[in-house]
Amino acid sequence: MSPIIEVENISRSFRSTKKTQGSWGTWKLLWKPEFQVREALKDVSFTLEEGTFNGLIGANGAGKTTLLKILTGLIPPSSGKARVLGLEPFQRSFKFRHSISLVMGQKAQLWWDLPAIDAFDLLRAIYEIPSRIYQERLQTLANLLDVSKHLNTQIRRLSLGERMKMELIGAILHWPKVIFLDEPTIGLDVLAASKLRDFLKVFNAQEKATIILTSHNMDDIEKLCSRVLIMQSGKLIYDGRPAKLTHEGERRLKVRFFEAPSLQELQETTGIAQDLIECEHNQDDRSFHFSLKQERIVSVLQSLLNKYHVIDMGIEEQSLEKVIQRIYENELSGTQESHFKT
Amino acid sequence: MMHLGWRWEALKNGFRDATAYRVEFLFEILGSALVPASIQLVFWYALFKVGGSQTIAGLTHADLLTYTWVSMLFTQVRGGDHDFELQELIRTGQLSQYLLRPVGVVEFTYIRGLAPRLFIAALSLSAGSLIAFFLKLSIYKIFAAMTLALLGNVIHYQIGASLATSAFLWEEAYSVLMIKNMAVNFLSGELIPLNLFPESMTWMWKYTPFYLYVYGPTQYALGRWSDAEFFHALILALLWIVLGFFMIRLSWSWGIKKYLSLGG
Repeated sequence: MSPIIEVENISRSFRSTKKTQGSWGTWKLLWKPEFQVREALKDVSFTLEEGTFNGLIGANGAGKTTLLKILTGLIPPSSGKARVLGLEPFQRSFKFRHSISLVMGQKAQLWWDLPAIDAFDLLRAIYEIPSRIYQERLQTLANLLDVSKHLNTQIRRLSLGERMKMELIGAILHWPKVIFLDEPTIGLDVLAASKLRDFLKVFNAQEKATIILTSHNMDDIEKLCSRVLIMQSGKLIYDGRPAKLTHEGERRLKVRFFEAPSLQELQETTGIAQDLIECEHNQDDRSFHFSLKQERIVSVLQSLLNKYHVIDMGIEEQSLEKVIQRIYENELSGTQESHFKT
Repeated sequence: MMHLGWRWEALKNGFRDATAYRVEFLFEILGSALVPASIQLVFWYALFKVGGSQTIAGLTHADLLTYTWVSMLFTQVRGGDHDFELQELIRTGQLSQYLLRPVGVVEFTYIRGLAPRLFIAALSLSAGSLIAFFLKLSIYKIFAAMTLALLGNVIHYQIGASLATSAFLWEEAYSVLMIKNMAVNFLSGELIPLNLFPESMTWMWKYTPFYLYVYGPTQYALGRWSDAEFFHALILALLWIVLGFFMIRLSWSWGIKKYLSLGG
């Protein structure tokens, strides 16, 4: 099967004016502006298959939205090539625009002062959807998302969750082959987010639409995506299954010592490699986290208890949220997660 | 053949959107028609009643009062602020949503904003019929003049849509559009009849299309322009529209390459 999205060595930089602090900075900007160049994407490559549900995650400013903008044809890459459905996105051909959709959780696409049904009628005309099919789709989508009774209500009078569901209906009424979702569950309550997720899952399975989802909510990623791409400072640092990221069956053993041993000593005592032992960076530098398989927990604990004065201990399951949190922390502290690179 | 489907729906939605708040809509129409008219009336009163003039540039007080009433029919038709909407879309990055739909954003924005103007044109024609009855003007000429005013509406938007693309470069085009609107207020004949301009300064309005928005239609409706002059203006308006079409094509294909789609 040929890939539906191909990204080949894409880079993108942005030039912006640099303003220094205070009134002098304002004057300088007026008469002699200085520019700075920021590299938002650095040599990113990957391919995505048809009908897959993919998660795109990363800290703020990691380059996720820039990548989405390139894939949807809003901006061109500075270098490299992207193809979606075999078409070059930035040309924004009629066929391309007919076949994709972008939902941005923070941006409303529907008409604020009109009921959703009016906006949907316009979309039906724009995408030339036959009336019967349109009615069927609208009914199906409204029922699945539980908003049938709100179709005639002015958008501005709807709750955030209801509005988001309407946005989603508006984005997929034309049955796009590729859907880009940028933070679709932002600001939604647990129930609304769960309904939205269930819907996306059903839509992906039934319609074989390729979905690319960016979200800071790891629940979205864990529950929906069969594949996850992690961006860090403009680079793609992980591309694979979410389960691989959490190292299925792996646990985190937290041990607090009376006196902190060195990492070298801990490695010798437990046989666990140093990069799988993490010292807690907050006030308590006597606590360590060991990443290990469940079956090894007892033997490791025994060897630690035999050699050190242990004050406290606990076992945590590896969650995607925690793994991603550690990646972000490493990004902030400037550490590269080199073992993730594919 | 031009596909009317989505255009018709956009027009309907544009009307619903503009009239979602009826009182606001009513005030918008009345306010923007009455303010320039009031300025003119005060001006004529000062010149003729206080200043004691008998004629100005060959026009009597009655001539100028007639001009004021009839020009009100066309002032409201010349255009809304959809060009401001375009620059705002570019500046905030909201343009992205429109770029992904299989319709042209410039045309879509125009059609959406056109609906209330068409409604106002219809109201003006009804009012124009009454004015024609009282002032003994030709109703046919008022209808023909409205056609010219509607072409002026297209030209006004085309110029605005082209100027709005400076937001691609400077991120903000508000001042550029404001300057254009101020020039239009003055050179379209909304504030004063353009034949009050001294001969040496008539080039100021003759070489712009703005006089086709209000002054031209008013002159024809009042019977002060011959049919030949009117058809000449009509052809000029069509030529400006063709030029505007290419201006938009050029400026938008240049601008879109600079678009950054800011804002998340």
